[in-house]
Amino acid sequence: MEETSDRLNPTTDTSGVTPEFDPKTMRSTKPGLKRLFITTSVLFSFLLGVPFLWKSVEIYRSPLPFHDIDSLSDQIESTPLRFPCNLHAVFVGFESKDPDNLRSQIQDGINQLTHQSSQCGSCNVSISVTVQNLAEQCLETLAHNPSTCSYRCGVIIRNEFGVGLDDTVDESLNDVFSGCSENSGKTYSVVVVNKENANGEDEVIKAVVGKRRHAWVVGSGLEERYGDIVARVSEIFVKVFMNGGRDEESIHGEFMPVGSDGKIVLSFSLLNSNPRDWVYDWDFQRIDDALLAPVTKALAPIANISVESQVLYHTPKSSFSSWDEKLQSYIFRTSDLPFFVNSNEWHLDTSAGASGRSKILQFVVYIPSGKECPLLLQLPNGEISKTNGFISPMWGGVIVWNPESCDKDSESPIRNTISPQDLEQIVEIFLGQFRQLFGFKSEAIYTSGLGTYKILPSERGFTEWELDVLSRKHTCFNLHSCSTTLGSLSRLVRSLPRMIIKDEIGEQVKYSLKAAKLAQSNASLGGYSSSASSSREARSLAENAFFHPSIMSVSYFSYEHCFAVYSPFFLPVVGHIVLAAFREWKRYRQEKAKYLTWLTRKKTA
Amino acid sequence: MASLVRSWIPLLILQSFLVAVAFGSKEAEQFSEALLLKPLPDRKVLAHFHFENRAPPSNSHGRHHHLFPKAISQLVQKFRVKEMELSFTQGRWNHEHWGGFDPLSSMNAKPVGVELWAVFDVPQSQVDTSWKNLTHALSGLFCASINFLESSTSYAAPTWGFGTNSDKLRYGSLPREAVCTENLTPWLKLLPCRDKDGISALMNRPSVYRGFYHSQRLHLSTVESGQEGLGSGIVLEQTLTVVLQPETTSVETNMQPSWSLSSLFGRKVVGSCVLAKSSNVYLQLEGRLGHESKNVDTEIEAHKLWKNADFDLSLKPDRVLRESSGLLFIFDIDKSSDSEPFDLGLNWKLPSKWSCQQAPLQASRFLMGSGNERGAIAILLKATESQEKLPGRELTDGRCTIKANIFQIFPWYIKVYYHTLQIFVDQQQKTDSEVLKKINVSPSTDKVSSGMLEMMLELPCEVKSAAISIEYDKGFLHIDEYPPDANQGFDIPSALISFPSHHASLDFQEELSKSPLLSSFKEKSLVRSYTEVLLVPLTTPDFSMPYNVITITCTIFALYFGSLLNVLRRRIGEEERFLKSQGKKTGGVKQLLLRLTAKIRGRPIEAPSSESPAAESSFLSTKLIFKIILIAGAAAAWQYFSTDK
Repeated sequence: MEETSDRLNPTTDTSGVTPEFDPKTMRSTKPGLKRLFITTSVLFSFLLGVPFLWKSVEIYRSPLPFHDIDSLSDQIESTPLRFPCNLHAVFVGFESKDPDNLRSQIQDGINQLTHQSSQCGSCNVSISVTVQNLAEQCLETLAHNPSTCSYRCGVIIRNEFGVGLDDTVDESLNDVFSGCSENSGKTYSVVVVNKENANGEDEVIKAVVGKRRHAWVVGSGLEERYGDIVARVSEIFVKVFMNGGRDEESIHGEFMPVGSDGKIVLSFSLLNSNPRDWVYDWDFQRIDDALLAPVTKALAPIANISVESQVLYHTPKSSFSSWDEKLQSYIFRTSDLPFFVNSNEWHLDTSAGASGRSKILQFVVYIPSGKECPLLLQLPNGEISKTNGFISPMWGGVIVWNPESCDKDSESPIRNTISPQDLEQIVEIFLGQFRQLFGFKSEAIYTSGLGTYKILPSERGFTEWELDVLSRKHTCFNLHSCSTTLGSLSRLVRSLPRMIIKDEIGEQVKYSLKAAKLAQSNASLGGYSSSASSSREARSLAENAFFHPSIMSVSYFSYEHCFAVYSPFFLPVVGHIVLAAFREWKRYRQEKAKYLTWLTRKKTA
Repeated sequence: MASLVRSWIPLLILQSFLVAVAFGSKEAEQFSEALLLKPLPDRKVLAHFHFENRAPPSNSHGRHHHLFPKAISQLVQKFRVKEMELSFTQGRWNHEHWGGFDPLSSMNAKPVGVELWAVFDVPQSQVDTSWKNLTHALSGLFCASINFLESSTSYAAPTWGFGTNSDKLRYGSLPREAVCTENLTPWLKLLPCRDKDGISALMNRPSVYRGFYHSQRLHLSTVESGQEGLGSGIVLEQTLTVVLQPETTSVETNMQPSWSLSSLFGRKVVGSCVLAKSSNVYLQLEGRLGHESKNVDTEIEAHKLWKNADFDLSLKPDRVLRESSGLLFIFDIDKSSDSEPFDLGLNWKLPSKWSCQQAPLQASRFLMGSGNERGAIAILLKATESQEKLPGRELTDGRCTIKANIFQIFPWYIKVYYHTLQIFVDQQQKTDSEVLKKINVSPSTDKVSSGMLEMMLELPCEVKSAAISIEYDKGFLHIDEYPPDANQGFDIPSALISFPSHHASLDFQEELSKSPLLSSFKEKSLVRSYTEVLLVPLTTPDFSMPYNVITITCTIFALYFGSLLNVLRRRIGEEERFLKSQGKKTGGVKQLLLRLTAKIRGRPIEAPSSESPAAESSFLSTKLIFKIILIAGAAAAWQYFSTDK
């Protein structure tokens, strides 16, 4: 090759061909293309190799449906989930009321109370109104959806209604409305009975909310005050049936103490703060069977609840109490409550292997030692707490239980067992705390501006309408937590471009989205249990994807590593090739220019 | 009449049985605590804490508990554990001085680090899964890296060599695990009184960990109720064995040091744990007065036992028991209180000497060979002095023999050649058939499972020493299989030597007591001893090597590639001609410089005369600017890539 270039070189033998030939600025032969071709082909093969290299160092990332995740969270943010609910209002003993008019008034009242703001888990109301006049004839206005309960006219007799115990009234109402179909949402009924004013005295209006899904308002002279009555009917529906009688400012509705696998572990601990003074034991097995089993059974659609108990010793509280001379007892102020639970000494834990991802709610019965007995909790207003207990949201509750006598009579401590009566009291307080953890009130009375409502407590801890509220809230909470989990997963994945994402995660995300969609559609159709179960599934799949072990372990494989491995080869080689190709191209242009000048010279010559 | 009575008795028994059945589930959980103190011949003191927690058969295990730790019960329920033992040990048990043939040493002399074995009550196919889950749960519970036992390369399934014959047994040990107070705290959490009250209040961390040996053990076993529909009961036994050196002021070297509880632990017992059914302190004196006076019924005699010419105790024992080799003083600590703490002391007046009963053979293990390629492991069994006196000799074919089981796990990177197994008895090589009665070998698979060797030796009674050696090759690990401190070496877990025909037990002449500690001593336990942990240095790579190799090979490739490309595109003839034409005019040094610049610029050399110095400088400056821009661009790109992640 060198030889040919030698021969072609104009400086040697072509100098004598033409008289004006200047070897510095011209050449007589065409410049060779071989070297240029070689260098450019090497350069191009390298450039072609770059995509392959890029592909080979690429890490596997299962494609996540980012768009679907975003749209799900947008949807949950913008249009909160609403369940269809039916309200059936029966007015008994009203003479001249038009049901259509009443219905629109109730609708207005409901709209006013909800302020049009649709909270997640609220109701899409359809109202039907029946008016039974004094002659026991009925006028009905049915909702758009025909599957509501039918009320047989004349079943409720005006003057006999509401006599006797509230429980029996509740049962009788259940018989009245027993023909309800539950296909499209739950049906709640409010019965308003206008009694004859027999005694002539101004009777108070009595409003009761039953254990099922019925409420009744009984009073006399209601016809005259019917605007008030309509307001109360809509209030019962919105504040009680729809929102569960909870205060908006109490525990935030988005917290549900349910684990992502749909389980709750109720862990009861009896803490003997100093067993040298006295030792108390309990027969919790019996309490569990007799009192707690109905509650766990009632809550079964919402969560799978398991109960466990233990007795711990030498567990002092971590803050001091002060002696109050007037009350003859030790006082612990509410402001000190954050320092009551002693996480150093109270080893309340259950075995992590046994509980998995369940939510553990701790319920602690604290027996003070002899040095601080009796121990009372003082409310901020100076009163003594009646339950002598407090809750900590999402953690559980503490009940301080004082022994009957605080005298340490003998040297050796006696082993006592808490009497069944005391235990029942403790369980009652616990049930109140448990209801509070779910956001309900622990009292049986709901007070509003219009008056008070008596709420019949269920022996199962939760009434049916409360369970409906819980199930709506639970679905809501699950979907919300599913969307936030998926949202943070997608943010994490997008922020770490070098993170490996296994197919499993992609599948879980896909199925979670699918379940969330299903839950939404079920909810809009009024399937309470099916939407709760699919929302639970959506949440647990989302959490599984987020806590997948492959995400935790191999977080990412850095660019620095890539540079460190590939630069020792590619940097020098690419430098060589690029420079060579550049020079060859430059030289070729130079030589070509020389050749062209030679050609023009030849032409002119 | 007699017949009438006789017919009543079975009825009564039946009735009481029915009552027992009816109240069987109501039987309470029981807890008891005990402390055994024992002066050792080498001027040390052994303290053995023993806690037992029994949960009666019930269906509410894992759910409702009063004294029994809920976490343990949940473990048992979840992983269907039938029996389990977990021990954390620091230091090595001195079999020669601290005894090798008593229940205390056979149960509490444990290998260094963590040892875990468990028997499961699940179908054979699920045993490994249960074991893996159990290791993870325990590692969380005890703040230890027990989860390293999860990988199949770290555990084994002994068949008969371990002593417990079950095909659902798994055994694993971590010799490297450092044991300290973070393991003791969760262990104490399982006790109802923790270390707040009772005997466990003595566990002052500095004094416990200052000792020569400490081993904390947790043994749990389920007891079948034998009734249909009733769950099984659980017995949880927790022991802590420490060997401490009492501080002594005595100048006499052969005098045993005097000590008291407060001088040993820095604390006193101020009362028993109120939840304990029994809480006792025992003081065991070996080789003492056992034969001198047989009947100690009288008060004076009894007094002589604890206050005599040799020694005296600071407190009067509640009872004194005799056993074959010594005395056992029993103290009840219920009577102690804040004002009158229980502080037992032992004061020696005369020098005294005694020796401990030892196992028939003393085992030690060592490595042979050198280099990083191969080596050999040898286990040496030496006869002890007490060998002749021991029971448990067997006559097979008219010969007196001692049986010894050896159980050893080899990690897979120790590639053992089982055919190189050699056995020497009294320095004479024996064939396998002569001494080897049984052998079970499961070879290791690389990176999958560890190897296991179980063998039963039958040695003649008059044996002085026996040695077993086996050769191995050292394997190579993958770079990410090395532990962080690979240069320290790799541990081979202790071998277990047990003597199947020898059982240790203490037999007290008086029938006594439901004390769990004493009843556990009365049970016959297999005599066993663990050998040392071996440290095998493996070839450890330079861990930056992969990058070095990458850099070097890449550089070589780049050089090769660059020069090849240069050769392809160089014009040698042209360059030579230039050199010729230039060489006439310029000197050697200048020519060299020119050649260099020509090479750098890659263009034909122009005659220096033709170019003006001004043009040269301007050309240089543009080039310089270009280079600076190039470098700045590279830096900017680097900055961009390194920050934008």
